[in-house]
Amino acid sequence: MTTATAIEWKLFADLAEHAGTRTVTLEIDPETDTVGDALDALLEDQPDLAERVLDGGELRSQINVLRNGADVRSQEDGLETQLEDGDELALFPPVSGG
Amino acid sequence: MSDLRLDATQLDRYSRHVIMDEVGPEGQKRLLEGSVLVVGAGGLGSPAIQYLAAAGVGHLGIVDDDVVERSNLQRQIVHGDDDVGRPKVESAADYVHRLNPDVSVEIYETRLTPENVDELAGGYDVVLDASDNFATRYLLNDYCVLSGTALSHGAIYRFEGQVTTIPNREGSDGPCYRCIFPEAPEPGTVPDCATTGVLGVLPGTVGCIQATEVVKLLLEQGDVLEGRLLLYDAMDMSFETVELQHNPNCPVCGDQPAIDSVGDVSYEHTCTIDAD
Repeated sequence: MTTATAIEWKLFADLAEHAGTRTVTLEIDPETDTVGDALDALLEDQPDLAERVLDGGELRSQINVLRNGADVRSQEDGLETQLEDGDELALFPPVSGG
Repeated sequence: MSDLRLDATQLDRYSRHVIMDEVGPEGQKRLLEGSVLVVGAGGLGSPAIQYLAAAGVGHLGIVDDDVVERSNLQRQIVHGDDDVGRPKVESAADYVHRLNPDVSVEIYETRLTPENVDELAGGYDVVLDASDNFATRYLLNDYCVLSGTALSHGAIYRFEGQVTTIPNREGSDGPCYRCIFPEAPEPGTVPDCATTGVLGVLPGTVGCIQATEVVKLLLEQGDVLEGRLLLYDAMDMSFETVELQHNPNCPVCGDQPAIDSVGDVSYEHTCTIDAD
């Protein structure tokens, strides 16, 4: 039996403006879904955000993905990282203002 | 360490430092003998310069090629209304001289380039990145990694700030800025403060955190934000610390770095190596 549960995306800096919101809650299946699946779901209805963070369908190297505060690229299995119920995901870009 | 002694005026001025075990007269001497290059005398540079000068960091370098505009004064608190039209480096240096005669200031009214970065930044103990553009930020990161110079990174966007510290100590394996962000966004992708606006007090918080880190580096006390990126959100009033690791594929500090000189890099675009 699979149970849909919720995860939350938090978007930092200009990514929030591209999405028109700072947080997005999504239903996921913790049995099968990965961070990459949650990213696909986030970008599905967000063409502006998708254009900002993707380059040729791949996540731009400067866009970092966090799961519960850990960088999934260096600390976990990247976009293949398995999701768990209640995960907080975040996308953050570099900013340059001073 | 030289035989620099604190005189009676200094013992008075720095008494709240000297009384603490973590600083003491020895630590205060370290600060007075310390040198910091602040790149940018704007939103982040203003509070950083103020607190570093007040703390008695003895040698400050300030780099900026801009003049003070009235629209800067909402956040760039080292400058006053009378300074509009003056070079920012001069206005900032005047502030330091009024605040603390112990501090010598070297001003550089220029833009940092791959050609002048060594001449300007060479010899400073710490570089504090308070610049407002990716070209300067990547240049400073690469220069500091390659020269083994400690770097404080701070950057802001509307209501948010990012801070990290890259000590670049010999044998340290912490990440550099490029480990986190291997290349800069395409120019025009991330709008600047003039376009998006910025909460005036935001750089105050972020610049003060940078000054705190620099003072700790000079004192060799405490734990700096090495391998950690602090994300500050003024709207939520939340601080999130993200653990980051050295990237073995990093173009400047990885196992087989493609960049071995700042001259290799084209900093005008995405801060990557020239195709030719």
